[in-house]
Amino acid sequence: MSDSAPAVARGTAPYRALWLAPVLVAMLLPSVWMVAISIAPEAGNSFARALRGPFGLDQYRALFSSAHLGRYLLNSAVVALAVVSLNVVTAAMVGYTLGRRRVPGDRFWTVGIVATLMLPKQVLMIPLYLVIARLHLLDTYAALILPFAVDAFGIFLVRQYVEQLPIELEEAARVDGASDWNIFLTIVVPLMRPVLAVVAIQSFLASWNSFLYPLILVDSDRLRTLPVGLALLSQTEHSVDWGFLMAGSTLASIPVLAVFMAFQRQILSGLLAGSEK
Amino acid sequence: MRAHSRVTSWTLLSPWVFAFGLFGLFPFLFSFAASFTDYSPIRASEARFVGLANYARALHEPAFWSALSNTALFVIGTIPFTTALALALALAVQPAFRGRTVLRVGFFVPSVVSVVVLSLVFKGLYAADGSLNTLLRALHLPAPDWLLDPRAALPAIMAMDVWSASGYYMIIFLAGLEAIPRELYEAARLEGASSWDCFAHITLPLLRPTLLFVLVVNTIRSLQIFAEVFVMTHGGPLGRTTTLVYYLYEQAFSRFNLGYASAVAYLLFLLSLMLAWLQLKVVGGRGAKG
Repeated sequence: MSDSAPAVARGTAPYRALWLAPVLVAMLLPSVWMVAISIAPEAGNSFARALRGPFGLDQYRALFSSAHLGRYLLNSAVVALAVVSLNVVTAAMVGYTLGRRRVPGDRFWTVGIVATLMLPKQVLMIPLYLVIARLHLLDTYAALILPFAVDAFGIFLVRQYVEQLPIELEEAARVDGASDWNIFLTIVVPLMRPVLAVVAIQSFLASWNSFLYPLILVDSDRLRTLPVGLALLSQTEHSVDWGFLMAGSTLASIPVLAVFMAFQRQILSGLLAGSEK
Repeated sequence: MRAHSRVTSWTLLSPWVFAFGLFGLFPFLFSFAASFTDYSPIRASEARFVGLANYARALHEPAFWSALSNTALFVIGTIPFTTALALALALAVQPAFRGRTVLRVGFFVPSVVSVVVLSLVFKGLYAADGSLNTLLRALHLPAPDWLLDPRAALPAIMAMDVWSASGYYMIIFLAGLEAIPRELYEAARLEGASSWDCFAHITLPLLRPTLLFVLVVNTIRSLQIFAEVFVMTHGGPLGRTTTLVYYLYEQAFSRFNLGYASAVAYLLFLLSLMLAWLQLKVVGGRGAKG
């Protein structure tokens, strides 16, 4: 099975294809269905009719004219951009500090990070809602950004990475009289670039696909992100317009799929770093 | 050499101090306190201490038990399949062969797409006149109205979950497999061990930490199923797909029973801890054959 001998591997290949090919088809068919339904305005939810055409982008146009999809897209993009930038900056600062420096209570802060990673996030949905309400931030961009600006997972990744970096460069700079900030900004941050890329991609995917918190923290239509907008659109329609919903779903999927295709390596390495804790 | 400046350390750490305090620790403790009161945001100043009444209410509420049993069914009914499929896929795409990257990437695609999108797509596939039923009718198989049939709705959501989560855990199993030294297999082969022997006596025991990780992470995730239910069924039909988190959401944000909902949230938290601990004992501890 996990044999490395090429002869054996070649020998089992046909059998492998026999069951892997149908699994691959099953994994990808729903996406094909989504795109097909979205570009065949007369198909309803029939795959057979969708494949026969006629094809057109009417349903995409309808999304922007009759629904506020453009607005949802913009909101998702603004929130993702802010969350990603803040995450990269804060993960670099905090991860480096916990990985390298002596700080009072560092054990406490680290335990807090691990506990946050393990805790089911939904447990906090009520008190987090109340905190945001008390700060008078309900129904603002800040509600969609601030609670997700500092993420335990990103900090954890950076901390693990920093601990593996050789310390000599930093010590040499210190002997030469460089300030703490200088060392951090000119030596450490450039060395952390690979892990910060992982943090950026992970937080982009999480932010773009986030649903429960944007649903409860924002009420007005003009602040809805794409997943919330789509979910609520699917429920306000009297008769479900599948082409319309699938056009929106396709648009919502393109950015994450593009990022995934472009950064497979970083995404998978982030995943694996998480599993090695 | 100079010591690190304390001010700088605190400045660098401040984002976490701020975020953990305001959005982590404080809410966690606040909801713990709120779970012993009849707190409601509409009359926050009148909140009264009610002791364990909220917890007692949950334990006497049929809707709570129904949500708990739906969630338990979901966990028990998906995790063995997801784990087995993920492991089988990982074993299949681990050896070097042409097309392996395409397979890995293809299997992972459902994991990067939004759950809302996946749920909308499956709602369309599961519709009474949807593509799945067209296929089933062509094969002369029963074609229920999946999401409106009280017996079929939860299994339909579970099937979607197995489908969408397997690729993610496959990648984690792959990492575990890569960490097993090749020499072990080569030595076993020389001794005349079969593929099955290798799997049972090398792969499986050495994969145990990974297996444990996958089980714990997947259990905690499965206890939180929400978006699927919100999009596909709204908890229905007849409450058969109301999961714990959906119940929590309804209690908190449709009925504003925040004290009661906080108690339910704490029960969910305790349940996650217990299950994680149990799996640590069963899979992580020294089993009979370990």
